[in-house]
Formats: sequence, structure tokens, C-alpha cells
Amino acid sequence: MDIRDILGKRRLFLDGGTGTSLQKMGLRAGERPEVWNILHPDRIEALHRAYLNAGADIIYTNTFGANRLKYPEGGDHSLEEVVKSAVNIAKGAQKACGREDSSWVALDIGPSGKLLRPLGDLDFEDAVELFAEVVRYGAEAGADLIVIETMGDSYELKAAVLAAKENSVLPIIATAAFDERARLLTGGTPEAVTALLEGLRVDALGLNCGLGPREMLPIAERFAAAASIPVAAAPNAGLPRQVEGRMVFDLSPEGFAEQMEAVARAGAQLLGGCCGTTPEHIAALVGRCRELPFAEPVRKHRTVVSSFSTAVELGTGPVIVGERINPTGKPRLKEALRSGKLEYLLSEGAAQEDAGAQILDVNVGLPGVDEPAMLERAVCALQGVTGLPLQLDSSDPAALERAMRRYNGKPMINSVSAKAESMAAVFPLIRKYGGVVVGLALDEGGIPETPEGRVACAERIYSTAAEYGIAHEDVVIDTLTLTVSSEPRAAQVTLEALRRIHERGGRTTLGVSNVSFGLPAREKVNSAFLTLALEAGLDCAIMNPLSAAMMSAWRAFAVLTARDERCEDYIAHEAGAEPKPQAAAGPLSLGGCIEKGLSSAASAEAQRLVAGGAEPLDIINAELIPALDRVGKGFETGAIYLPQLLMSAEAAGAAFEALKAGMKEDKGSGYPGKIVIATVKGDIHDIGKNIVRTLLENYGFDVRDLGKDVPPEAVLDAASQEGVRLVGLSALMTTTVASMEETIRLLRERLPGVKIMVGGAVLTEDYARQIGADFYGKDAMASVRYAREVCS
Amino acid sequence: MSAGTPNWREIFRYLGYNNGARPEGAVLEMIERAEAAVRGMAEAKSVYQRFPLVFHGDGAVEIGDIRIESAALRRNLEGCAGAFLLAATLGADVDRLISRLTALGHVSEAAAAQAAAAALIEDVCDEAGESMRKIAAARGLKLRPRFSPGYGDFSIEHQRDIARVLDTARRIGLTVTDSLMLAPMKSVTAVIGLSETTGCPDGKCEACAKTDCDFRRL
Repeated sequence: MDIRDILGKRRLFLDGGTGTSLQKMGLRAGERPEVWNILHPDRIEALHRAYLNAGADIIYTNTFGANRLKYPEGGDHSLEEVVKSAVNIAKGAQKACGREDSSWVALDIGPSGKLLRPLGDLDFEDAVELFAEVVRYGAEAGADLIVIETMGDSYELKAAVLAAKENSVLPIIATAAFDERARLLTGGTPEAVTALLEGLRVDALGLNCGLGPREMLPIAERFAAAASIPVAAAPNAGLPRQVEGRMVFDLSPEGFAEQMEAVARAGAQLLGGCCGTTPEHIAALVGRCRELPFAEPVRKHRTVVSSFSTAVELGTGPVIVGERINPTGKPRLKEALRSGKLEYLLSEGAAQEDAGAQILDVNVGLPGVDEPAMLERAVCALQGVTGLPLQLDSSDPAALERAMRRYNGKPMINSVSAKAESMAAVFPLIRKYGGVVVGLALDEGGIPETPEGRVACAERIYSTAAEYGIAHEDVVIDTLTLTVSSEPRAAQVTLEALRRIHERGGRTTLGVSNVSFGLPAREKVNSAFLTLALEAGLDCAIMNPLSAAMMSAWRAFAVLTARDERCEDYIAHEAGAEPKPQAAAGPLSLGGCIEKGLSSAASAEAQRLVAGGAEPLDIINAELIPALDRVGKGFETGAIYLPQLLMSAEAAGAAFEALKAGMKEDKGSGYPGKIVIATVKGDIHDIGKNIVRTLLENYGFDVRDLGKDVPPEAVLDAASQEGVRLVGLSALMTTTVASMEETIRLLRERLPGVKIMVGGAVLTEDYARQIGADFYGKDAMASVRYAREVCS
Repeated sequence: MSAGTPNWREIFRYLGYNNGARPEGAVLEMIERAEAAVRGMAEAKSVYQRFPLVFHGDGAVEIGDIRIESAALRRNLEGCAGAFLLAATLGADVDRLISRLTALGHVSEAAAAQAAAAALIEDVCDEAGESMRKIAAARGLKLRPRFSPGYGDFSIEHQRDIARVLDTARRIGLTVTDSLMLAPMKSVTAVIGLSETTGCPDGKCEACAKTDCDFRRL
């Protein structure tokens, strides 16, 4: 019988602990349990039989840690043999118990034991392949379903689910391990995990390990409240305690069953155990919970997008989608995208988050930029600095697919339209990777001029989405903001269409700012339009959260619709909103501000000087550079310490930004040159390299920072592409100095004219020479001095 | 979230302040801000377990199933009957915090956060040490100073063994990269000997052969 026919129709029991049970049979700490599939198949089968006899419906194969990392090619046991024998043993146990038709063998997949990039060094696609191999062996051996369990990281969870879907047609149950704060090891909440897994269309989801049933109960409740599909709960035999330096789980079978009854009543449809639970625990669980009333999962119809850490629900109150990561009309962002330097993009993201954005739109489409590659890169980089869900914004399905695959969570997708071609390209992606999709109310005939026409487009999008299995709630309709200055009734049509979609229970979104195009004082029109749209039922306002006028309108609306009880949010933001006098730099000169490390004062003073008619270049030469030199000298003589040196550099950077506005396009004759820097392959500690970059930039160098964990070839490519005279490399440990040496060797071979400076904790002058570097920078200032020498 | 008082002396030392120098004014405020952020993001977790200890004739030490060739570790464990293996981490959010500060150009704050995190993970290890001390004391045993892979000739290769034996990936989310770095970054693995005598000439930091290290504890 296909388990899909039963999932959610009746209560199913899972088995209990495997690793802890094998330890009782003599498995040593640190020994790989899966090896016992080869060495002691009898013991594994006996455990399976005990669980089946206890009443388990689904037994997990002994393959939790079976992957290529732990069973490398040429090792003592072949991965294929380990996995296939595990499935065969489980099937043998079914037969021995006469349960071939009344139980199921689940191929068990646990975490890889590695952290994915950027937190660790396992690439996402490598993780997918790691799991894919196990899935292929398990499916070949005849597993009935796949259980992905004990995942502590949503990204790895996604990799495993994708691997399962791409390499088999088996049903998938995916459960994650939460701690007492109801968070994954890498931060995800039950709601975020639910959004991710439902988006990936698993068959059941939930939680296991980490906690005992009592501690798990509130988290299981949250899963049951969020999920529309069956929920599984498999806790440990109580909260693990360290006794005498050993981990013990000491909840008795009866105690376990009693606490599990509450979990069952909270809405978990699949019940089992994890560490410390035994066949006795499962027997007690089955005895106590078998006859409890069963409630099928209920469709929740919630519209949820998520990141690795948080979920945002649409439809429970309007949310702000920050619009600023979009190159249209933004020369600085265009420049950033063309040069591949994403810092500016990241700072725009963080600034919008700080200003109140709940989702960030990401659009990197620009002629001359490889959009699929750039969108993927931007999404990964943004997820390194913000936990906000992202709205992937592109008209290129190839760009969407690459970014959706890599995205950690359930993204918002901008957009699809009612054009058949658009839907045929985008809906399969939503179906595969999950997402909430923005549906533009336009079709082959263009943008309908009437509300009826736009609603008709929306209906076509909804019905076609349904054909792909995409739920109504996963579509958000954009009724399209047009410019009022060219079509007087434009706003009225947009709002009327919006109102109708809203009244039919649909979710809505609008890019608010277009409405005022061509008018003066645009924010006034935009904020009034925002208020009208919110009143008409707008769920997602794509807008600029850095605009005070827009945010004031937003907060005022919250007050007037009783969403901001006691007006606290409004008062907190608006009470101090009278224009402040320009931050006075006091008696400090620009140089003084820089020396003291006062960024905003330095910026204000620079602006004041420019306003007073001074030439930016003169200010740089007369104030900025000398101040930096004084601080640099102070650092070298030991009078000034690193934090102050860096703060001064940041203040100089802020002043430079203020001056740049008044400068001509060319960077001046004092422009010293371009440098490529990188933290070498294998090394994820890059703070030293980042400090060097900051200082180099403040001395006017154009620094191409390749980041951390950079392969030698990438350094070579960048160095030859940029035609630099100097490359800087950092490595923290002896293990990574080896890849530094390799990088140097490659550079020497291919770019003999390039100078190489190195730095890092384990390096010394001698060591640096030994690996072939030209210069060892003992600290950041020394690197600056050398760079000036080389590039002068 | 982690309780306790910041070890300011250590934080300032990691940032390069020596000879009793202390930051002040805007710099001090920035460091305090970074420290508070680290404390807010840290999700400290630790795991330890006691293992038997065998001294082999060829100089190797065996802790559980881990065979270690290190004269420095052997000296540290001389006379011990068993040893705790310890692993501790501040979690992934501290790494994210530092990346975010860096990406946004706040490198001074990133450096300060780095230092604050380094001091905090020491405190976390000390807290775990206190629990281990109580367990040991109940049996009339004392703890040797914490000794980590990377000290002296104790190869960092053994980080991988400690992570495997303690199942750190699953229990506290601590992993080891191919190049033998711990991820999350602010993490520690260590060996702590158990003996009847306190007598141990080797300190922690002081046992290291890299005598020119800026961060050497004197």
C-alpha cells in the first residue's frame, strides 16, 4: 500500500532511537553505527523487529550518518553496500514479523555533519549531491519512503529534500531538531521550517530529537497551527541530561507515553521517538495513543514567505517590501552591479531592514550584467547579512530558477503575468522550489484599462496556478500602479481592481512609487496613494522604507485602523521627528573628527566645507589624508590601538562619501591603483583581510575583495582581469597556509610581474618568504605602506 | 542570549591594548555596543564527556578511541586517570553578526565583536569547566588546565576526532571544515585531564611554543 494513501488519514507510529539503542548493544562513542549493517546485521534486524512488534508502522533504516563524507570512496565499507544492506535488513525484519503489508521502510537521512556555506565550507550543490547518492541507493534497494530527520539547518534540510525529489518519486517526511527556544541550530522557527517544507511539497513534516515530549509540546503546537499537511513528532526520552559527563535520557516508557498523549492531542499525526527511546517506549506510546481521537490536518490557506530564520505571513496586516535594491534610476547600484562589488547592495538591504522593511525586493537586471549569475550571488550575499525574506524580482526565468534553488527559505517571486508564456515558465519553478508568486494583472493584450479586465487576468493566473498544484494563497495579485500624470483615472482603476481582489479573499501587492512619475514632490502623492491602497486592502506595499513621508503615512494608517494600539509605534517614531539641526561638529575640524573616529560628525563637517565653497579634492589633500596619516603613525608607534585606527578609517570613509558627491567623475591624480585581496581557499576567517581592505580603501586604493575561501584560480582570474600590480592574501592557520602557497605558485607562474603581500596569524617574516611572498604585513598599516610603495 | 559579566580585560587585550591601556570615549562606546550585540546573538552550547586514558609506550596518548601523538598533551595529562573531551560554541548567529557588520563597512565593530566573542567563548568553556570540576570533585579528582588541538604539538587534526566522538554536529551544531577550522567560528574543542593531584606544570596558553604571539597570556 502506498503510504501517501494513509498519511493524514490515520495516526501512524514511527520507531524509536537507533543510535542510543545500538550503544546499549555495545556501539562505542564515535563509532559509525551504519557499519553494523555489515558487521552485525542480526542486531540491526532484531532492533527493527522489536520496533515493529511494539507497534511501529514506519521503521527507519540504519543509515542516519551514511553519506560520502563518512564513507569515502576506497574506505573500509562501501556506501552503496551500507545503504542497500540497511534497506534489506529492514525489509527482512518486516517479513519476519509478517508486517510486509502493514508497515513501511523509510530510508533514513540525517545531517551531513558539515555546515553549508557561508557558515561552513560545504557548498549547497555538493550537499544536494551528497544526499542524492544515498537516495539513489535507498530507492534502488526498495525503500518505501524517505525520512529526512534531525536537521539543524534549514539550508541543509532544503538540500536533502531537493535531492530526494530529484532522485526518486518516494514520499518524503522531513523533520528538524529544535532547541528549547524553538529554534534550529542555525536559527529557523517552526513557522519558517513549515513554509520551506510545504513549499518544497514534502508529504509530512515536523520535529524530532533535541527535546523530550514535554518540551516539544509547545513547538508541536506551533507546527500543527502552521502546517496544512501531517505533522510528525519524535522526541527524545526526556530532555538530555549530562550525568557524570555522560548524556542520559531517563524518561520511562510510561512517562514518555503520558507526555506524548499531549503531543498527539496537540495535532501531531505521526508519533515516534528519538534518542533514548526503546521498543518499550514505542509500545507504551502505541498503547496509550492508538485509540485517541484522530484529527486530519486542516488546510490553513495562509500566505507565508520565509528566510532561514523567520516567516512573514501576508494577509494578517500589511507588510512593507523594500524596493530599493533595483538599479532603475540608481547610478550607484548600477555601478556596484557592473563592478561586481556588492557592498552597496548589502548596505541598502540592511538600511531598509533597519527602517522597517519586512521583505526585500531584489532586482539586479541591467544590460551588460549576467543576470542569472548576479541574482544568485546577490541573494546568497544578502542572506549572509539579513534574516528578512527576499522577493526575487526578475523577468528572466533562468535568473529566477538559479536564485530560487539557492535561496534559503520560501521566497516571494516577482513575477508572473497572465500571459501563457510567462505562466508556463514560472509556475513549474514555484511547483518545484516553493514560493509565493506575484501575479501581474496583464496579459497578451497588455494592461487592461478597466478593473474588470485586471480581475479577469488575476482569475486566469489563479486558475492556471491551480493546474500546477499552486494554491490560491500562494499567489499575490499586483493590480499594477500606473502613472496618474499621463492617465488621470489610472489610480482609481488600480485601486478598484485591488478592492475586488481583496474582497474575493485574494492577496494583493503594489509597487506604490510609480503613481507619481513626472510630478513634483512625488512623496506627497505616493504617501496619499499608499493610504488609499491600504484602505482598499493592500497586503504588500513595495515601497521605499527610507522615505520618512512614506513611513509616516504607513504609521498613521496603522494608528487609524487600530493596528497600533495605544499609538506606541507612531509616537516612538514621530515624536522626535521634527527636523534636527545639522549634527554640529562642535569645535572639531574635519581632521579632528577623523582622528576621533566620529563618522557622522566627519560627514557633516565635510558637507559644511563643501557648502562653504571648498574644493573636495583640496579637502581630501589638506584634511583627510593628513589626519589618516597621523592616526596611522600613531598606530605604528603604539600610541593608538586597532579599534581607533579602524574607526578613523570609517570616519574618513564617511567624509569621502560626502565629498564624492561634489567631485568630478575622475578620481583625481592621487588615485593610487587597484589591488586584489582574498582570504585563501579553505579559510573562513577573514576579519584580518577585512581590516586591511578598509584601510587600503581609505588610502584611496580601489580594492577588489574576493572574500573568503577563495580558490587559487579565482585569485588568478581576478588579478589578470583587473591587471593589478599587487595581490594581498590572508590565511589564519597552518592548514590554510598550504593553499596560500599554492595560490602564490600559480600567480608566479602566470603573472610573474605581480607583487604578493601576505598576512595572518600563523605567518612570520621567514615563513612568508619561504612560501614565496614578496612581503609579510605584520599589521594592517604595514600592508598599506607596502601597497603605497608598490603602486607609487 | 548569554548571562554574566563581560571580561573586558580580555576583550581589550584581544583588540591589541597592552600595558594596561584602555579604550575611552567613542571607541569604548563602540566596543561596548559590539559586546552587547555579541551577547544578544550568542546561543552558547557545550558538550563534554569523560573517557578513559591510556599512555602508550611509544609516547602516544589514547583518549577513548582517539590516538594522539603529542608530547605537550602527554605532559599536560601526565598522571591522569581519565580525561574529559569538551566542545563549545557560540552558535551561527554570532558569525552572521560579524559578517553583517563587515559587509556594512563597520569593520571596527566587527573587530570588536570578534574580540568580544573570543572572550565570551572562553567564559562558556570556564562554565563547563566548573560543572566538570564538580563531577571530578565528587570522586576526589581534580581537573588539569584545558588543552586544545593547536596548542604546542597537539595537532588540530584532532578537532575532527573530538567532534566525531562527542557528536558535536548533532548535539551543539559544531562542525569541522575540510581545512580543520571549526564552524561556527567562535567554538572550542579541548581535552581536560582528570587526576588526583593538581600538580601540573603546563598552563593553557603558556604551554604554547609560539612565544612571540601577540595574544600570549603572561
